[in-house]
Amino acid sequence: MAKSKERKVRSYINPYLGGVLLGIVLLAANFVAGRGLGASGAIKSTVVTAMVTVSPSSAEKSGFLQEFRESHAGNPMKTWLVFEMMGVLVGGFLSGAFAGRLKLKVEHSPGITSRKRLLLALGGGVLFGFGSQLGRGCTSGSALSGMAVLSLGGFVTMMAIFGTAYAFAYFFRKNWI
Amino acid sequence: MGPLAINELISENTNLFLAFIIGIGFGFILEQSGFSSSRKLAGVFYGYDTVVLKVFFTAAITAMLGLLFFSLFGWIDMDLVYVNPTYLTSAIVGGMIMGAGFIIGGYCPGTSFCGASIGKIDALVFIGGLFIGVFIFGIGYDLWDGMYMAKFLGSPKVSETLGLTDGVFAFLLIIVALGMFWVAEWAEKKFPRAEY
Amino acid sequence: MEEELIVSGRMNQMIDPHLHIWHWQISLYLFLGGMAAGILAIAALYFIRGRENDYKTAVRITPFIAPFLLVIGLLALFIDLRHKLFFWQLYTNIKLQSPMSWGAWTLMVITPVSFVWCALHIKDIFPNWDWKYKWLYDLEAFFNKYKKALAWVMLIYAIILGIYTGILLSAFNARPLWNTSILGPLFLASGLSAGAAATLVLSKDSKERKQFARIDLVLIGIELFLIIHMFMGFLASTQVQIEAAQLFLGGQYTMSFWIFVVILGMLIPALLEIMELGKFHIPVVIPAVLVIFGSLMLRFIIVYAGQVSRWLY
Repeated sequence: MAKSKERKVRSYINPYLGGVLLGIVLLAANFVAGRGLGASGAIKSTVVTAMVTVSPSSAEKSGFLQEFRESHAGNPMKTWLVFEMMGVLVGGFLSGAFAGRLKLKVEHSPGITSRKRLLLALGGGVLFGFGSQLGRGCTSGSALSGMAVLSLGGFVTMMAIFGTAYAFAYFFRKNWI
Repeated sequence: MGPLAINELISENTNLFLAFIIGIGFGFILEQSGFSSSRKLAGVFYGYDTVVLKVFFTAAITAMLGLLFFSLFGWIDMDLVYVNPTYLTSAIVGGMIMGAGFIIGGYCPGTSFCGASIGKIDALVFIGGLFIGVFIFGIGYDLWDGMYMAKFLGSPKVSETLGLTDGVFAFLLIIVALGMFWVAEWAEKKFPRAEY
Repeated sequence: MEEELIVSGRMNQMIDPHLHIWHWQISLYLFLGGMAAGILAIAALYFIRGRENDYKTAVRITPFIAPFLLVIGLLALFIDLRHKLFFWQLYTNIKLQSPMSWGAWTLMVITPVSFVWCALHIKDIFPNWDWKYKWLYDLEAFFNKYKKALAWVMLIYAIILGIYTGILLSAFNARPLWNTSILGPLFLASGLSAGAAATLVLSKDSKERKQFARIDLVLIGIELFLIIHMFMGFLASTQVQIEAAQLFLGGQYTMSFWIFVVILGMLIPALLEIMELGKFHIPVVIPAVLVIFGSLMLRFIIVYAGQVSRWLY
């Protein structure tokens, strides 16, 4: 902690300002590409690429790949969301650099160990990855972008995500508070 | 005029380049708002930090109003904009699984990339989990194919379903959001918070 | 081999309408050659200016990478050759108007010079190094005596090597994208910048790192200036050149060129280096790796896009 005295860690921006700016980015995405932001689509592209590379014959047979191909022509890594997510890594890094928040660490509440936090992160990731495929997009792709275009599915997914998280919050409170 | 790519005002390659630029903005704003911290994100479910709710709803409303006005001025053709299709069963079940993943893992996919970009190892592990989850979905696709495709309703707008015009719905949503922001501010005062 | 009389390149399917003969080996070789040239030129320059003690890493340590780069580059070039056993014929004649001849002779000089330069500093890396034979000690003493002359030779040949990696492409007047005199200086600047980035990674001295961050910034500025002028030149030229430029302005290389070369390889590292020079704390390896990566991508994209650009229809 002694070090943080020398280099100033800037605080986060006002959340409403952040929201307006994020809304403008989302608007720009719709204006340019006719579609919203997303994250899980990029992971799907990568998984599809890996499956096709490792085992082309079994991948060709899977309904997953056929379903993916119906909406994406050509190289699965050359899609909008893959490039957008590359940008997210760069933008997040730049922001962290400006704010003095670049640091390798495992963030967890004082109540649990790093090891437990990492196991929970892995488990949560698996669930979220699976759910995002079933729900056709994650918090950004389905809920946020869907809400912006008034999609019924977007609102339903948003309510399902936050409703479930609130319902389970009590059981996992030790991990966060 | 818009969407630029669909109206072929810009080439496919330029579109991908702009995706990268938009992604930089996306990541920068997420990080600046504090979405790179899982403890800050999870705060919304315990009331000690409601930044997620505020940013999320402000963003959705800003973009929604922006699209409504752009459409009104004739700057964007809303018929060409992708509206997420609604498969009711999978939207609810998928959303519930995601909600569980959110409270257990502390991130969602977009924010985990953001966290990983500034060196959060838990975010990196979460991303590893995402790949495993998507992979499991992919290899077992035939098992949940039925649920995935069930109750397809087309791409309806929530305003149509409720029998309102887009403008009236947007107005009501803003009122609801303002109510939520008021609750959020109250909750933050009630529950102790630390800076992450 | 049957004797062929080639009247026009248009008869050759590998040349018209697109060139299909230059692959990753050439791009890799141009990058490695350029980076080695950058490292050696910087080392020689600081030695000649008597700043060896201020910039120890750049003069004494970083050059150890150069021979590896040159040897791997030459290997890549050799793999690319169709008639491998005839490579020596490049050395049986000197053609002043052929960049390949220039390149072959430059490499012939700079590769052994880089080995000698490393041998002179080997005790910096292996303090207990022993040359074993007296004649090797004599040789070392000889080169130490004429180290300044050696540094001049190294500086001049490194700059020729750096420029030649670009001129090699410019000399193809059949490829409008390549046929611009800006490629020589651009590749030289890019190679120097990759060389400076190598020192940035290796150096442990904060003063030296700051200096090399500044050098890198200036070089990135020069590269951006050259790139802008290259496009201005193309767009002000004939339809063929305009179409070559369109490959990067909406065409199939738009995304890869602007994202990987300009943004990730130049603008972002420049921004990070400016921040590092200020009061921000940045892991220095990130901008350095990005610069080296951008320099590699520049060669790949120019080599591939150049083969697509063409004169006639």
